[in-house]
Amino acid sequence: MISKIGRQAAILFICALCLTPFYILLTLSLNKPTRILSEGNIFIPDFHFHNYIDGWVKSQIGTAILNSALITLFALAVIVVLGTMAAYTIARFDYKFNKAFFWIFLCSMMIPGIINTVPLYTLMIRINAINTLWGMALVCATNVLPSSVFIFTGFVRSLPREIEESAIIDGCSWFAAFWRITFPLLKPSIAAVAILNGFGIWNNYAQAVFFLQDRSKHNIPQALSVYFQQFAGAKWHLMAATAVIAVIPVICAFLLFQKSLLKGLTEGAVKG
Amino acid sequence: MRHVKTGLHTFMAFPAFLLFALFFLWPLAQGIGMSLTDWDGIRAPSFVGLQNFFSFFKDSRALGDIKTTLLFTLGSAPLLNLVGLGYALLMDGEFHGKGLARVIIYLPAIISPLIMGYIWYFLLQPDRGFVSQAMMQWGFSRGLGDWMNEYWLEMLVLILVNVWQYAGMTMVIYLAGLQGIPQELYESAKMDGAGYSSRFRYVTLPLLIPSIRINVVTNIIGSLSVFDIIMSLTDGGPGYATESLGIYIMRMCYGSKTGYSTAVAMIMFFIILVPVVISMRLTQERE
Repeated sequence: MISKIGRQAAILFICALCLTPFYILLTLSLNKPTRILSEGNIFIPDFHFHNYIDGWVKSQIGTAILNSALITLFALAVIVVLGTMAAYTIARFDYKFNKAFFWIFLCSMMIPGIINTVPLYTLMIRINAINTLWGMALVCATNVLPSSVFIFTGFVRSLPREIEESAIIDGCSWFAAFWRITFPLLKPSIAAVAILNGFGIWNNYAQAVFFLQDRSKHNIPQALSVYFQQFAGAKWHLMAATAVIAVIPVICAFLLFQKSLLKGLTEGAVKG
Repeated sequence: MRHVKTGLHTFMAFPAFLLFALFFLWPLAQGIGMSLTDWDGIRAPSFVGLQNFFSFFKDSRALGDIKTTLLFTLGSAPLLNLVGLGYALLMDGEFHGKGLARVIIYLPAIISPLIMGYIWYFLLQPDRGFVSQAMMQWGFSRGLGDWMNEYWLEMLVLILVNVWQYAGMTMVIYLAGLQGIPQELYESAKMDGAGYSSRFRYVTLPLLIPSIRINVVTNIIGSLSVFDIIMSLTDGGPGYATESLGIYIMRMCYGSKTGYSTAVAMIMFFIILVPVVISMRLTQERE
């Protein structure tokens, strides 16, 4: 009994620890510009909602949210389509080049994308992909392609080959059998891959700094960092309000998809 | 495997590989070439051999960055795994509000580390920060003190913030691993008289090896290429004290030392490769 209560208390404490900075951010975003932190109860805000309007107008967070959303969606689409196709043929057919591709992907998983940034920059200039959302999306997709192929392949291997063979007997090609039969069954692992990587793409900063220099193409972290540097610690209430605006879509997306994460991970993703 | 006629399915891995070759393998090969030149990003480069690598190891700022990056990893990767595993053990099984608790613990991991860095900076900055102000209200007139001038304190804060943010992500992988362990194994171990600690040692731990490998490798890679959180929390300062290799590469590239910055990236590649290969080997043997 005591251990049960102790466990609940520990969980409660951890949750509080995780939520505190969010609470402080929210408090801060509702303070009046004239508020001096040391006056009055520090934990209760002024409920000055006007900060949100000011923050929205003065920062470029609206454009940035749209840019981040387009980059993330396009990158995830590329990963899912190309990644599952590659995983299918790698898991099902023993061609030499399939083995070679898989081995190259496996080794590349150990190399973080940031190492490649500078030579990638010259390539991006040559193919006119600097300051384009599609260019950034392809960079982000490439970053996580190896680990995604790895997860998808493990998942396809866990499915019996017979499911496709019955379709082949009915006159389906192997290619069509993938789209009709295998692909729909991959849903849990697609959800896991999308959640594990989607937020990283949404929040990418280290590479966005190089490839999205035009202010109209800035993604969320960039828009916030420029804004933070501009005011250099002076207007915390506006920055906090803007940060809250930026965080809301992420939290909503997460709440929507969080159930699939653990399910997708348990069903094959970590068995690797 | 039976022989299957060549068809579209034969080439299904090509699109993925072509994308990967164009955006990863090709730049990687170019980077190796670039690292041997004095290219400044504009004028025609000339070949300088290993000069960039020599000057890296003579640069005290660069060596300091290696130290910072390694220290950060040495602190954050093991701690992330311990905390994540602890969380997972705590959260495995039935209790009230299980779903909600998991969502809350994962929440920090979905927020940009840059934003998180700013929030923590606001909370912890000396004098004007939230924590200092609150402490002053409660009668501790010194507040948090000037921790941003102490290298070790700064490193500690960076590591703890990183662990705080990503423990949920590590936890989810461990949770998935824990749920893949068949209950019968625990029951038969119990019948053999194994206590909690020996059940953990001989049942849980060996069967968690795949999750441990994924977590250890991703955490090592993530920590060694740390970028955002340092940018927003300390901006690499004071001076260049808490600058990481990733930030150094970016600043060198913008400082028109393009050839040199690719050389640093190559060095970083080897720094990352060694611990990753070692941990892969170790977990493979145990499996």
